[in-house]
Amino acid sequence: MMNVFRWWRGILLAFFLLGLIRVFSPLPFAIEILIFSIYVIGCNFLLGRVGFISFGQPAYLAVGAYSTAFYLFYFGTNPYIGLLFGILGGLVVTVLVGPFFVRLRSDYFALVNLALAVIVFYLMEKVLAGITHGDNGLWFLTRMTSTPVLDISKPSEFFIFAFLVALAVWAFYKYLDDSVYGACCLATKINEDKLKFLGYDNFSIRLLAFVIANTTTALAGSLYAVYFGFVSPEMSSHSRCADPVVVTILGGVGTLYGPIVGSIVYTGMKDLISGVVGNWELLIGFLLVFIMLAGEKGIWGTLEPLLKKAFSRKGVLANLQDSGEKGR
Amino acid sequence: MNNGEILAVRGLNASYGEAKVLFDCDLDIQPGQVVTCVGRNGAGKTTLLKNIAGILKPTSGSITFNDRNLIGMMSYNIAKMGLKYIPQDKKVFSDLTVRENLELGSYATKDYNWDQVTDYFPRLKQLMDRKAGYLSGGERQMLMIGRALLGAPKVLLIDEPTEGLAPGIVEHLKNVFKELSKKTALVIVEQNLPLVCAISDKIYAMKEGRIVAEIKDGESIKAGICEQYL
Amino acid sequence: MMDGQLLISGVIFGLSIGSIFFLMAIGLSLCFGLMRIISLDQLLYYSVGAYITYSISLVTGSMWLGALGGLVVAGVVSFAVERLIYMRIYERDITFTMITSFGILIGGVGVIKFIWGLVPRPVPIPMVTQINILGTDVPVYRLIVVVISLLVYAGIWLFLNRTIIGKAIRAGTENVEHVEGLGINVYRLFTITFIIAGTLSGLAGGLHAPLIMVDPQMGLHVLAFVFMVVIIGGLGSIKGTLISAFLVGQVVSIGSLIYAPLAQMAPFAIMLLILLIRPTGLYGSKLLKR
Repeated sequence: MMNVFRWWRGILLAFFLLGLIRVFSPLPFAIEILIFSIYVIGCNFLLGRVGFISFGQPAYLAVGAYSTAFYLFYFGTNPYIGLLFGILGGLVVTVLVGPFFVRLRSDYFALVNLALAVIVFYLMEKVLAGITHGDNGLWFLTRMTSTPVLDISKPSEFFIFAFLVALAVWAFYKYLDDSVYGACCLATKINEDKLKFLGYDNFSIRLLAFVIANTTTALAGSLYAVYFGFVSPEMSSHSRCADPVVVTILGGVGTLYGPIVGSIVYTGMKDLISGVVGNWELLIGFLLVFIMLAGEKGIWGTLEPLLKKAFSRKGVLANLQDSGEKGR
Repeated sequence: MNNGEILAVRGLNASYGEAKVLFDCDLDIQPGQVVTCVGRNGAGKTTLLKNIAGILKPTSGSITFNDRNLIGMMSYNIAKMGLKYIPQDKKVFSDLTVRENLELGSYATKDYNWDQVTDYFPRLKQLMDRKAGYLSGGERQMLMIGRALLGAPKVLLIDEPTEGLAPGIVEHLKNVFKELSKKTALVIVEQNLPLVCAISDKIYAMKEGRIVAEIKDGESIKAGICEQYL
Repeated sequence: MMDGQLLISGVIFGLSIGSIFFLMAIGLSLCFGLMRIISLDQLLYYSVGAYITYSISLVTGSMWLGALGGLVVAGVVSFAVERLIYMRIYERDITFTMITSFGILIGGVGVIKFIWGLVPRPVPIPMVTQINILGTDVPVYRLIVVVISLLVYAGIWLFLNRTIIGKAIRAGTENVEHVEGLGINVYRLFTITFIIAGTLSGLAGGLHAPLIMVDPQMGLHVLAFVFMVVIIGGLGSIKGTLISAFLVGQVVSIGSLIYAPLAQMAPFAIMLLILLIRPTGLYGSKLLKR
């Protein structure tokens, strides 16, 4: 029982703090942070655990969003079923492209994913314009019906839902990190040959990681779709390809809570700065270069050892820390 | 220090990340000497040479070559000064011809006198226009040593030169090393005991990252006393 | 059935667009070969080249002068970036340099927006003459672009095979440590290679400018195609890059004649197919580690 609590308390504390954000900041901001951190954790997992960097995350985001949107626009009205379709769509696409992609070296992997994002963008904007309505996007906000128990067509209740989903996602990724499978992932990153000699199959480990990570990304996409009640090709546009990678780096690669910290900082800065300067790219670019040159540990990666020091006696954050240690 | 050493290593420590691999290694070589390092695989011989050549950065210790401190110097500058490392992988530039391989050696040192190379290795003369990728193992080793000879290096660090080579070529290399030592000090990492005994002026035996024995006495060297460390 | 005239102009169009891809991809390929970096910021030098071409041709009225200026400025910018940023990170993992280069690209696009604004700018075509090939009128400018890129290929080939620095670069592509072990300053080779890459990307931008509108996101528009070229040809191979650039150019051009959306989709399908057969592209090196 104690162990169960130990295992959970890091996550619960993190989400308690996240919940506080809801109190002190406007609702859209809090929701954006939640969805964005789900979006980023897939990229973080791929880069930090399997050593695959993907500049093509928007592709999977768009897949999830459009799967949800197609259902809600053409067939049904229940947003929960829409979300299921989003996850299913993500799963199908990743299972289809995964076997091609995970065979590649990490550098080719990054480039191919980037190409995929561009292709998805064109697909949605031009090729499938008949059903996606091209740049105009699909509007279905008013088509969504209220659902019993938790009415996610209302933003305030959507927040609670997204919060629970994020909590579940984090618990899932923490479980992955702690499992043998998580160790195998890390091992493929560090030395795939040795793992092969131990009798593990690199291909299937990577494929599973790829499917898990990008289905999570698709989930974030469908959350966006339900939240906004609108999708457009813009979400997979190439100018946004860097976002998840930037936030992953910003938060701290391979750390469990990096995506949350990164999302808060990134979304916060974006809101603050784009209001003032209007030239957002300039800042992201230089921020990215700066973090890389400064030691690439990211905010959480830097904070974590400090917190560990501060709380080492009390052990309050014992669970917050363990996740990061394995990432190195 | 100065007892006429061309190369003096003092208290060298090195590590790969967390793992410490060299502990307080000392090594001296005088001009014209042939020094060999023996020891089992993983004893740190190659790491020692790479640290001296500046390819790896030691954590502490000093390396003095020709009265200059090498710590912190870029490895190409160290090579330019006349301390060259010949790795054991026998990877010549396989896409380039033998001639081009030698040209690169000349380009770095501005020494275009190839006779000194072909005198030692006449075989290379016939192979000039062949792609180095098509050479045999022995020919590659000749080319590796040959292109390092340009620019009259003062110390050559040679890593397992005879590994996997035919006995005839080993014999040839042995004679070359003897000849070379008249002009150049040699530090050779070697597992071939008869060769070690035949050419060494001094033997360092390494074990688990430490230099455990220094054998200077000619009789002991001839007697193959270093065998126990292999 | 497709019209013969349409086909010929389609082929010429494909060749010219392939030439542009080639000029950009060759830089990426060289950088990967020698330094083992994936320099996404080459797309920035492409945009820089195009914008400088725009500005100079606006002032002087000569696009050729503009392209020359664009090439020089792109080279200078790439030199500065190499010195300021890459010098510190060459030793790092390939994903690390790739992320950093993406940061440079994004930041650079921001700078371009800051200087030239968001509005797309037109660059006048320097020559509107057309010549008749097999009964079809073909714009001379596009042919000149093809000729320039072939000259660049020849020049790069001569540089790599006939000059000592080129030979050192080829040797470094195989094994940088050994080149360094001979006493050659490999960082100077890195700088030279990077400047060549940046200059050629700038040239690509300058030559492409009259054929499209110059806008801040232009680098990102061609990004997917350039990567497909590099991936199909194989990172690190000059010959593979040339072949795959013209292949992708033709697929884009002929594909769009048959069915417009094919222009974007077909190269991607070809890329997937080739990666399925050869995960390192047509002529890619199997080595990743030095």
